[in-house]
Amino acid sequence: MVQETLQAEPTATRDGGPLKIESDLQFIRTLRRQAGVSYKRCFQCGTCTATCALSTNAMPFPRREMIWAVWGLRDRLVADPDVWLCHQCNDCSERCPRGSRPGEVLSAVRRECVLEYSAPRFLARWVNNPVYLPFLLAIPAVLLSLLLTFKAPIEAALGITRNTTERIVYAYTPELPHWLLNTFFFTFTILSLLGAAFGVQRFWKAMKKEDAAVGRGTPSKGMGASIWTVVKSVATHEKFGECSRASSRYLSHLLVLFGFIALCLVTFWVITSRINPLLPDGFVYPFNFWSPWKVLANLGGLAIVVGCVLMAVDRLWNNQKTGPGTYFDWSLLVMLFLVVVSGFATEALHYIRLEPHRHAVYFVHLILVFYLIVYLPYSKLAHVIYRTVALVYNEYTGRHEVPESPPTEAA
Amino acid sequence: MNANDSRSPRGKPLPAVIAVVVLLCPIGYSAVAALFGGGGDSTFLAAPENAEQGCIRPIEYMRFRHMDLLTEMRDAGVRHGARREVTFTDCTVCHASREEFCDRCHDAVNLVPDCFECHFYP
Repeated sequence: MVQETLQAEPTATRDGGPLKIESDLQFIRTLRRQAGVSYKRCFQCGTCTATCALSTNAMPFPRREMIWAVWGLRDRLVADPDVWLCHQCNDCSERCPRGSRPGEVLSAVRRECVLEYSAPRFLARWVNNPVYLPFLLAIPAVLLSLLLTFKAPIEAALGITRNTTERIVYAYTPELPHWLLNTFFFTFTILSLLGAAFGVQRFWKAMKKEDAAVGRGTPSKGMGASIWTVVKSVATHEKFGECSRASSRYLSHLLVLFGFIALCLVTFWVITSRINPLLPDGFVYPFNFWSPWKVLANLGGLAIVVGCVLMAVDRLWNNQKTGPGTYFDWSLLVMLFLVVVSGFATEALHYIRLEPHRHAVYFVHLILVFYLIVYLPYSKLAHVIYRTVALVYNEYTGRHEVPESPPTEAA
Repeated sequence: MNANDSRSPRGKPLPAVIAVVVLLCPIGYSAVAALFGGGGDSTFLAAPENAEQGCIRPIEYMRFRHMDLLTEMRDAGVRHGARREVTFTDCTVCHASREEFCDRCHDAVNLVPDCFECHFYP
């Protein structure tokens, strides 16, 4: 990967001195491939920023990001929280007179952010390359198969016995015992969260460094208050609500987000059943079909399926509005859909008690869940982390109200 | 830039509020059930009086697989004429009451087995 350096005309820097543009040509090629357009046609008219419902005077994206992208200023782009403020309404892409599709360019930049800050980085490269997909799925499949093969000796060594009290804990299947699944998923989720924590730390540091150079980035309000503002904004889909071209994304994303939260909540409730003080003695698993928890889980799954279908329809048939999507987008969408569909299939097969199909489908479901949850910080789902962090940073520093200190000469 | 530079919140709170309420419902239900002990011991089975005599299969097997055993015996009896290892009547030697034994679990998980539509469990 040769990094070629172009020397542009000296331009005024922020302090008025000459600026040597270090253009990352590899980055430009990647962006062009991911955005699917030769965005270098951009002639900086500013229609994108003028038409954007989300950008503000202090944060004039995406025009500024477009010139950085054209110049190949990778370091500056991946440290720019503004690219995460963009929710790809695509008003800009639709109105761009040069067809540079700034919405897709910013989406491609966000993918670069995930690749840049992920720890370990190679995992992010694998997750975002379809060639590695079979390998990534094989990792949980092989590990889980090994654990199940040696289940009996492990149980003996650890002294694990089945629940022999009279309490009803009727596992769907003794072949895949809960202690094993919980331990397996818990371990890998912790590892994945550690990776995410490293990523967040790097991202935060990079944003601070870039902002310090233009005289902003000092805290303007408390961290708790910032997080609360962001949580409210995300929950109400305030930003998606402002999209006009791709307004359909408001509903689909709302359904997927709350469906996902519902499934996480039910899962959390079940795996903590032994230590949860709010659980009555009569906690029965599997749930009664009309148990509020089961109803919530089924509604959550349904919401995700509907949301995913709406998203896929948009990407396939409305892609002038939402963008056709790349492997980065589609892998998350398809995987989310498959997780929920395999979950429903498992549920149905359990009800009709079809052996051994229900175990086989459950196994496949678990592999897909592993892919979704454990590779979360490396896939598009990492936007849950990076977008939230960028939004919190934005509130915390109040940078949306503080314009950059103007360059002395260039003004 | 647009008129929303004043950043007046334009989110639609209603769907979010509905979603959060739906999310909180089961927690509330569990909390109320935990605090007021609703449905507590219905999920516990009393061990049969002569438990030491043992079941026709190990307890763990019966927990997970009793329905399969019944199906197997049904097939063996009805389709292959191999009657009959045990009958429901044999079960009642230890598990005297259907309400106290079968129905407790089935009710708890909202399961309606079709066994008893034909078979009489004394």
